[in-house]
Amino acid sequence: MRKSRLASGMVAALVLAGTAACSAGSSTDDDGKLTFMFRGGEDEKAAYQEAIDRFSADTGVEVEVIVTDADQYATKLQAAISGNNVPDVFYIEQASLQSYVTSGVLLDITDLVAESGVDLDNIWEYGVDSYRYDGKLQGTPDGALYGLPKDVGPFAMGYNKTMLEEEGIDLPDEDEPLTWDEWLDIMKQVTKDTDGDGEVDQWGTGLNVQWNLQALAWSNGADWTNADKTEVTVDTPEMAEALQYIADMTTVEEVTPSSEQQATLDTYQRWMEGELAFFPVGPWDVSVYNELDFEYDLIPYPAGATGEPATWIGSLGIGVSATTAMPEEAVELVTYLSADETAQQTLVDAGIQVPNLKDMAAEWAAEEGTSPANRQEFLDIVEDYGRPMPAAVTYGAAWYDEMWTNIQPVLDGKQTAAEYLAEVQPRMQQLLDESNMQAEQAAAANASE
Amino acid sequence: MARSSRLHQAEHRWALAFVAAPVLGYVLFTAYPVGFALYTSMTQWNGLGAMRFIGLDNYVRLFGDQYFWQSMGNTVFYMIGIPIGLALSLALAIGMNRAIPLRSMLRTVYYVPVISSLAAIAILWQWAYNGDFGLVNQFLAWFGIEGPNWLASTAWAKPAIVIMLIWKGLGYSMILYLAAIQSVPRSLYEAAELDGANGWQKFRTITLPMVRPVTFFLVVTQVIAGSQIFTEINIMTPTGGPEYSTASSVFHIWRQAFRYQDMGYGTAMAIMLGILILIITLVQFRLNQRNSFVLD
Repeated sequence: MRKSRLASGMVAALVLAGTAACSAGSSTDDDGKLTFMFRGGEDEKAAYQEAIDRFSADTGVEVEVIVTDADQYATKLQAAISGNNVPDVFYIEQASLQSYVTSGVLLDITDLVAESGVDLDNIWEYGVDSYRYDGKLQGTPDGALYGLPKDVGPFAMGYNKTMLEEEGIDLPDEDEPLTWDEWLDIMKQVTKDTDGDGEVDQWGTGLNVQWNLQALAWSNGADWTNADKTEVTVDTPEMAEALQYIADMTTVEEVTPSSEQQATLDTYQRWMEGELAFFPVGPWDVSVYNELDFEYDLIPYPAGATGEPATWIGSLGIGVSATTAMPEEAVELVTYLSADETAQQTLVDAGIQVPNLKDMAAEWAAEEGTSPANRQEFLDIVEDYGRPMPAAVTYGAAWYDEMWTNIQPVLDGKQTAAEYLAEVQPRMQQLLDESNMQAEQAAAANASE
Repeated sequence: MARSSRLHQAEHRWALAFVAAPVLGYVLFTAYPVGFALYTSMTQWNGLGAMRFIGLDNYVRLFGDQYFWQSMGNTVFYMIGIPIGLALSLALAIGMNRAIPLRSMLRTVYYVPVISSLAAIAILWQWAYNGDFGLVNQFLAWFGIEGPNWLASTAWAKPAIVIMLIWKGLGYSMILYLAAIQSVPRSLYEAAELDGANGWQKFRTITLPMVRPVTFFLVVTQVIAGSQIFTEINIMTPTGGPEYSTASSVFHIWRQAFRYQDMGYGTAMAIMLGILILIITLVQFRLNQRNSFVLD
């Protein structure tokens, strides 16, 4: 009898234990430790671990690090947040900032950063402002601060110096952007069969429309939305011209590998094989491109009708959980990773980013004998002509993705850019309206909670 | 209910404890999540903040979402592979049932794809479908056929995935059919032979009806699994294929929920998909009952 009661008790206890296990564990309890969740490749992990170890040594604050692969990060962070297990400090994408802020996940760190004595004026405005949000617009200089930049990622245009020299073509100017016509001219000259087997094996370029249309459209005077982010404005002649220019490179001018050739071996690989004269270069590419068999350098993006170059800047931020038990220490870690000179030096030396600090960046750009030689171009983009990606500063991204879903016929020359844009604009507008409505409703729902 | 005896009381406690385990498990891991999903589908929720109740708006929106219907259409297209796969695996099973050389090795070979990692298979096939260097097109080139750039073409991306699915599922169906064929009583064939039936007649009137329960089981489970296809699609065509031509329903749901953080809408579509699968399965059961027979 006793035995049976004991046994039935045990079964019940087991069941209960199973349920209790689900609700245990929260990172923000008072164990005097910060948790920091981030993502990155091997180089980055090592560089960050070094920086974090020194942070712990300097401040006595222990940091527990959770690191994931790049493609798993968003899902894991989302799961941690749904499970009320938010890390104290974590990477935050520009594009998720608004939904995280309206959902009350991110801490407003404006005052704490001011108190910490970090010289915000010495960090790129673009980087800092990307994490400001005034409840309506993101990126405005007077919005509340919800993070600091982990880095800024200017997307520059590069060219294969070795190839142009061999072809006897004047190297493009570092300060004066090429016009589209001049650019096309050079590309036509280099597109040829170099080994005499009857097949073209060297081309002008090969641009992925999703990453390059921004630069061409903006410099041609077009944009995705109006300033308030309420109207989709892709159905303009300027946008059509830019998109058509990219499509024509392949289908009319034939200065890029054909779409079949690109599907076989993408243009990123072909650039690294030395088959392309022009290709975009981000700071994250530099350590890889410096190992290639040819010399390359950076120039401003060739400019459209406005005569001014344009391009986008990526960025990743570091934010603090609104529920952290140690806000001061968490902000200290954020400022350390974003703006401490030694920490920045570690990351810059790893060849994965440009310095966040302006004075440091100026020295870095002025170094002699570096590759690429014109590092200054990265800084010009950050300071002068770069912009955020269109969807990085709206609440949702579905409206923006819609632009690419059915674009292939344009790139294949089966539909004109103008026709396509007129067709896709209403769909994008509808999705943007929905996303803006959701932003308002989410804000209202969270405010009333 | 005899509650008088002490012995019974003790037994009742025992019984309750044992009943409690599965009931609690069901409530915690099935009933609660389903209820929560039903509620979520009627809210606007980004997975982070507060949920806002919006009634049936998500379901209304679903009817106007062209990509939802496109992805449904794609999913139905993938089902073409089910009858083809079943026919092939039945033929294989009949072959493997004979005394052919290397029989056990061949059985193993056909079963290998079933136990291989889905992700690895998807990546291998992605390579095999490469327009210039892919195995598939190199093989076609032997016969003078210039293969398409499979996964980059709106016309060929779906058939490419169907072929892969057939290949992947062949071994599993074959093993089940093999077991079913081997359990057909020899006496039926002997009787048929005495009556002068030829091979085809024996197959059509004995083998096929006798393996019918297996066919039914395979059709039902494969339709359900096919409605939920996701991993292969996500790996082989991470953006949903050219012009969304390979996106399956679950791929579309996943994209809404996790890329656009639209959990409410994603859940509504998932529930809709669940209802459709339920209806299809009920219809299949009904059809099966109508056509079934009893062997005395």
